[in-house]
Formats: sequence, structure tokens, C-alpha cells
Amino acid sequence: MNHENWSKLARIMSKRSLWMIHFCTGCGAMEMPPVMTSRYDMERFGMHAMATPRQADVFLVTGYLAVKTLKRVVQVYEQMRDPKYVIGFGSCTINGGMYWDSYNTIKDLSKYIPVDVYIAGCMPRPEAIMDSFLKLFDMIDKGEAIGWQKYHKYYDQYKRNQRMAFSYRLDEVKDIKEDDKE
Amino acid sequence: MVNYIDLTIQILVAIGVTALGFAIGMLFNGIARKITARIQNRVGPPIYQGYIDVLKLFTKKTNISHGWIFDLAALFSVAGIALAFLFLPVAGVSLLSGEGDLFLILYLLAIPALGFALGAGASGNPNAAVGIMRALMTMLAYELPLVMVIIAMMVYYDTTSLAVIVQKQANMHWAIFIPVFFIGALVADMALQGMLMEKPFDIPIAPHEIATGPMVEFGGKHLGALMLYKMMGIVVETTLFVDLFLGGGVILSVSQFGWLAYVVNFIVWFLLILFVFFIALLINAVFPRFRIEQALKFYWKYDALVGLLILIWIFVGVTP
Amino acid sequence: MMAKELFPEAQEIRKGRIRIETQKDKVGEIIKKLKDNSYEHFVMLSCVDWIKEGKFELVYQMWSYQYKEHVMISIKINRDGESMLSMRHLFPQIETYEREIHEMFGVNFIGNPNLKEFILEGWPHMPPMRKDFDTEKFVKDFYYKIPEVKEE
Repeated sequence: MNHENWSKLARIMSKRSLWMIHFCTGCGAMEMPPVMTSRYDMERFGMHAMATPRQADVFLVTGYLAVKTLKRVVQVYEQMRDPKYVIGFGSCTINGGMYWDSYNTIKDLSKYIPVDVYIAGCMPRPEAIMDSFLKLFDMIDKGEAIGWQKYHKYYDQYKRNQRMAFSYRLDEVKDIKEDDKE
Repeated sequence: MVNYIDLTIQILVAIGVTALGFAIGMLFNGIARKITARIQNRVGPPIYQGYIDVLKLFTKKTNISHGWIFDLAALFSVAGIALAFLFLPVAGVSLLSGEGDLFLILYLLAIPALGFALGAGASGNPNAAVGIMRALMTMLAYELPLVMVIIAMMVYYDTTSLAVIVQKQANMHWAIFIPVFFIGALVADMALQGMLMEKPFDIPIAPHEIATGPMVEFGGKHLGALMLYKMMGIVVETTLFVDLFLGGGVILSVSQFGWLAYVVNFIVWFLLILFVFFIALLINAVFPRFRIEQALKFYWKYDALVGLLILIWIFVGVTP
Repeated sequence: MMAKELFPEAQEIRKGRIRIETQKDKVGEIIKKLKDNSYEHFVMLSCVDWIKEGKFELVYQMWSYQYKEHVMISIKINRDGESMLSMRHLFPQIETYEREIHEMFGVNFIGNPNLKEFILEGWPHMPPMRKDFDTEKFVKDFYYKIPEVKEE
């Protein structure tokens, strides 16, 4: 079997068996129980929640992220094995949402880790969440969900942005960058 | 002079049987998830979900490792359980067997847990250490009643070979129809619940407590191997139960019916292990989890006591 | 005894809500006296920034299960660097409230050994809950200036 067919098979398999890391932030955690239980039942698609990031394929960032939470999110994301996918929930991960002027929440998740699918809404209904899963399946099928490859390729840019957010001062980050050059 | 052709055929058959065991195990995983979903009023995944999961895990990239012991530990588990499967009579046919193989099987069933322990130790995660300690504790707990019942059966049938026990149960003289071994089957079924790591004895895994315990650092291909071990474990453990109490699924004798007997026996064996597994699933679906000391108390106080009574009964009944 | 009988100067806002306005050196003995008289639940310690007066108001809130009564002990201290005595010897949970107020408003509590950073890690600016901290300006200068990841 040549490489192209192999990766196509891998995509079909990973599409039908996405395991989700059970790590919820913000109010989106409240929308997950109906999605997982008998009303919407995401196990129909072979998705179910796993306890550790090592075993997981898809990471649902469910809501706003304080800077302190972002540190954990980045850690969890880096512990996951390739290929891995990220779904951003609600307007908080898109542009800050109702926390647009909060001093301690990040505004745009895709500056810090690559996001494959965004769901708009505050909060999105379970139907929207199921729709985003189908969209993600479609993207995996066509080979468009390449967030994890982007993270490898533009690793220095993502790391720079993460450091900027963690330090609370832009001028301090410039010093760190100069340290790196030396 | 070694007969190479026979040897090659034997090796090929062994590989085929092992592959069949894995295939049935993966199918059982799908069936288990479907049944659990139906009990919880959900639709559930398709029945072939187990195959997809394992294939997906083997196509994942390995960008994290914890050293070569960690890499080999999962293989160690898979090899141990496959060897145990080859020693078991499946539908009356056992590839490897001999005098005293019942002891050997009990011994082989402990090997995968040790592989588990090696991998968990190499990963260095504290949750894994807690989980593996619990796994070995539960093993210690359920082995006592199980071994008591098995020794009672050895005394009753006057053999230490599992194949002979299966033979003596032919023509529907199943051990479960003898009243004392009906109680023995109940004791062994409780031990089976612990072996299968289903609730209320899923203490070693406990996803919401210690994050799947020994498997916490496993992912990708390593987790795929571990899942193969777990799925094969279902087949091996239920087959052991069926061989001991339900005549191994043998209802037609090979000498009388020829190849038809193999097919029918195989189907009956499959239905019987499915039935035993189904009971375990029903218990799993309705019970919460025990704590480790509650599990020990259950096994050693009640289960082992009944096992001991059966053992005494058999000794008193057989020796005069 | 109820709070109204213990402290005649206390004002009753409505039924079950008592407010005592006092000086900062008397807070310790008032809390102790209330604690001995069945007000055994310390609800919380909160802080209000009265920027026009130039004061911080610290509110110690206590609850009695016996009388079903809520007592608020209110004191005012100057905004510019006046410190307060720690009350952690009376109720141990006050330590955490003081830690939070120290971080969010910059009030110093003398006698509290645990005033290290709490929620914000490595915050270099003015304490963010003060009224003169301009969150919108901070957000525009900080979060919106972090560049997007450029793909080549």
C-alpha cells in the first residue's frame, strides 16, 4: 500500500473514531452533557470522552480562557498525539465575546494554538455542536484539518504569542526575544 | 527428524486462531458499547466500532515515548494473553495442552497484568502507579475464590487438565447442572467480573478518579496494543468460564458428525461466551464502583467463604 | 444576644440585615464579640473602591444560624497605602479573602504571612479592580497588539 492510500485510510479511520479530551473551561461545559447523553448521543459517531490527553484526538475548548487556563490548555494540547484537532466553542474563543474588555482573558484562541473549527454563539446549542462535528469529519476527509501540521510549521510564532500572553507586558517579551537570539 | 510441514501448518493455525481471537475481541468491544448505549437509552456506536478504534490507534503518530520498556510493555501484555488463548480449549479444540495446563493458564493470566505494570512503571506517572497497585490488589483478591472453585473442580473430575474437564462434560453433562457447581459458577462469575475489570470492580481503571490508571500515559500505537490485550482478555476470560462450567460449548461429538460438529460447536461456543459477557455487561451497567477495600472485603469475606464451603463439600463428598 | 442588643449604634437596614459602621482598630473586638454570641459563620470579606472619597471600604459579613441575621461590619481606610490589621486569628478563612483583596485592590494586611499572588500570575501593573485601572485601554494595548500567526 503506498503512502497516499495509507494516509487516506488513516483519515477515514480517525474520522469515525474521534476521542475527545474531557477538559472543559467556561460555560460550554454545560452544553456537553446533552451532547454526550441520550438526547444527542455523540457516540453514534464513535466519539467519546477520554480521561487523559495522551489518548485523545480532538480538543474542545469550551468557552473563555483566562491566561492561567491558557497555560494548562497549551500543556494539554502539546501532550496530545498527532494528528490532533481543536474545536473552539462560542464567541469567547473567537474574539473574546462578552469578555472583550476583560483584563485577564485572551481574545483570540487561534493566536495561541491552531483551531480547526469554530462554533459561533453564546453558548452554541447542542445542534450546533453536532453540526461542527460533521463539519470536522468533512474537513478530515478532505485533508483540510491540518491545524497540527501548522503548529509544527509555525511553532516559533505560536510560542512567541503564548509567551506574550503569559507575561502581561509586551516590552518584557521583546527582552526575552533578544535573550533567545543570544 | 523434525517434520517441517506439520510444524509450519501448526504455526499457521496458531496464528490464525490468535487472529480470530483478536477479531472476536474487537467485535465484543463494539457489542459491549452498543448494549451499554441501549441500556442508557442511546443509539450507540456501530457494532464494528472496535475495529475502527484499533485501526485508528495504529495509524496515529508516535511523537512521545518513555523509553524502550514502555514500548515493549504493551507487546508483553498482548503476547501473554495470546499464549493463554492458545492453551484454552476453544469449542473443544485446544492447540497447546497437556497434563496440568489449568495451573499454567492461571499463571499465564497473571502475565499481562505484569506487562501492564512494567509500562505503567516506565511512564512514571503517579496515577499509573496508583492504578497498577490497585490492579494487582484486585487480582490478589479475585484469585482466591476462583482458585478454590477450580481446585474443587479438579478434585471432582480427578484431573488437572482443562481439556479433560471439557471432555468429561460432553453430552450436556455440564458442571453448572450439578447443584454445588452452580453455586461455584456464581462465585466464579463474581471473580470474572473482577478479571474483566467491569463495574463494580473497575477500580484499577476508574477514569474519573485516577484517569484510567495504568493506561494514563499510553496513547497512539501503545494504547492500540493495550486495547488489543483488553479485547482479547474478554474472550480468554469468558472462554475459561465456559470451559469450566458450560462444557466449552461442545454439544456434538467430532467422531460422530465430522466437520459439521466443529462448525456447530464453534457457534455454540461463541453464543455462550457472548452470553457470559452479556451478564457481566448488565452488572456493569447498573452498579457504581467499589473502593479497593470494599472489593477486598467482598472477595475475601463472602466469595472466598462460599468457595471454601464448596471445596470442603467436594472433599467430604468424594473421599469416602 | 442579638447584634442590635450588643451594639446599640448598629443600624438595621431591613429585617435580618444589620450594618455596623466603625473604626478600623475596633473591628477585632466586634468580630470576637459576635463570634461568641452565636454569629459563628464568617460569610465573606469584600472591598469597595470609593474613588471620589479616596477611600476603600472593607465589609466583614457574618451570619447567625440561630437568629437568621446577617451582620455587616464596615470600615473605611484611605486609598493611598493605608494598611489594615489581619483578622486571620479569629477565622482562618479570612486569610484567603485578604490575599484576594491584596491582589485585586492592593490593600496591605499586617500580620498575614500569606499575601503572595493568588489568581493573576506575574501581574506587573496596577491592581486591576481599582476604579482608576482602565481595563479597555489595557486590553487594547495588550491583547489586541499580540500579532496573528502569519502563514507563508
